[in-house]
Amino acid sequence: MRFARILHAELRKALTLPATLVAAGTSVAASVALAAYNAGGVRAAIDSGRLDTVGYTSPVEAALSATPLGTVGAVILGVVAISSEYAVNSTDAGGGRQVAATLAAAPGRVAVLGAKAITVVLLVAAMAAVALPASLATARHIIGSEAPAEPVGTIALRAAGVALYWALTALLALGIATLARSGTLPLVVLIANSSVVSFSFLLSNLTPLAYYLPDLAGMRLFAQESWAMVDDALDPVTGGLVMGAWALGLLVVAGFAFARRDA
Amino acid sequence: MRRVVAAEAVKLRGLPAIWATAGGTVAAGAVLGAATASHPGAAEVADVLGATVPFLQVGTILLGVLAVATEYSGRQIAVTLVAMPRRLPLLCGKAAAGLLFVAATATLTVAAAGGAAWAVLARRGEAPEADWWRLAGMVAYLSLIGLVALAATVLLRSLVASLVVMEALVLIVSPLLATATEHARWLPDRAGARLYLPAVEGAWGWEAGGAVLAGWIVVAAAAGAVAFLARDA
Repeated sequence: MRFARILHAELRKALTLPATLVAAGTSVAASVALAAYNAGGVRAAIDSGRLDTVGYTSPVEAALSATPLGTVGAVILGVVAISSEYAVNSTDAGGGRQVAATLAAAPGRVAVLGAKAITVVLLVAAMAAVALPASLATARHIIGSEAPAEPVGTIALRAAGVALYWALTALLALGIATLARSGTLPLVVLIANSSVVSFSFLLSNLTPLAYYLPDLAGMRLFAQESWAMVDDALDPVTGGLVMGAWALGLLVVAGFAFARRDA
Repeated sequence: MRRVVAAEAVKLRGLPAIWATAGGTVAAGAVLGAATASHPGAAEVADVLGATVPFLQVGTILLGVLAVATEYSGRQIAVTLVAMPRRLPLLCGKAAAGLLFVAATATLTVAAAGGAAWAVLARRGEAPEADWWRLAGMVAYLSLIGLVALAATVLLRSLVASLVVMEALVLIVSPLLATATEHARWLPDRAGARLYLPAVEGAWGWEAGGAVLAGWIVVAAAAGAVAFLARDA
């Protein structure tokens, strides 16, 4: 019962942050827009009969190539859930930080962080529940009936993979932001790494161990043949588990730090 | 005006985050330069460094963002405006001081990355050559993209917002759009990349790319200046 109230409080705090709504809304809109743009390119290629100019004709690929945009949204959701607690108020209002009020109201620190983690996952799930069906439907509508048909089960599985990747990325962001007590570091590291040119990609040129880094480990959750360097990546189940282990491990370390040190 | 620039430089000098970012960027330059150079195909210093710039620009962007965003965490901006009520000279002073830090960081970063790449290549027994103009182009690009970030932060007034916008623009939107459309060459980072990438048949030269990037800076600075002059701080 107590935990349910903490969770409720964390959900309300997260939902009333402007950054949460802007990040989720922008990610959804940008994903759908890019899906529509990619699908338009495929449609034009089909119409002109020049299929060699596009890497795929499937609406699923057209929609899911916008995945990195959603990843950015997920990173922001994970970061602001905790970094907003550490933002300093106006000196006119005493220059305090919200985390003091939070911990006065809910002294169980592990429970607070756990509630934040669940909140972040719920928000990402909500974002994915809007963004993915909307982009898939848009791409399908634009490409039309010539598109190769794919069984609904496969599409659902891939969409679930994308949603899982986003959720785990958001949890990584939450963990790093909790450790750093600021949003700058996780924003820099995770947005750079969710991009097409990531540090991990650079490292993978030097050592195959780089494929066990969280972002590369999980990439097969959403990426198929048309993505760069997907060939050497871990398979979806192993990769998902490795990425999940990273997220869980970081959250445990962050929880330990959050519980032990001064807020 | 000199006192405005000096005051802004003193403020920047006092920020631990600025020093951490600058130091981190230079260190990242050395590591990335060495790492990219140890790739078997690498032979030319400017080519090696060209591959590291997309990462290193994160550092100068963060510097540009921090230079302005720190005024708005807490209400330092109120104190600043009491001391210097004329807003346009203030903004110019801030941009000049910010550019000073960003350019110094960019120079040291390119030097560190180039030195590391050169050392790795030389140890492998190659006689690496460096195209000095392209290295200068990298310094210019890293400085100017930091200036874009500074101007964007004047408009957005928030560290998280402008950091996310700038990073998403150069790291996510730009590569995604580049695979989809040739019009992506008008984006600030794609246009600016002509300053340091080798000349390609059919693409813009460094003059045109630099001009487009300068155009972005003018637009961002004008939007930031209008907002800064017109609204409550």
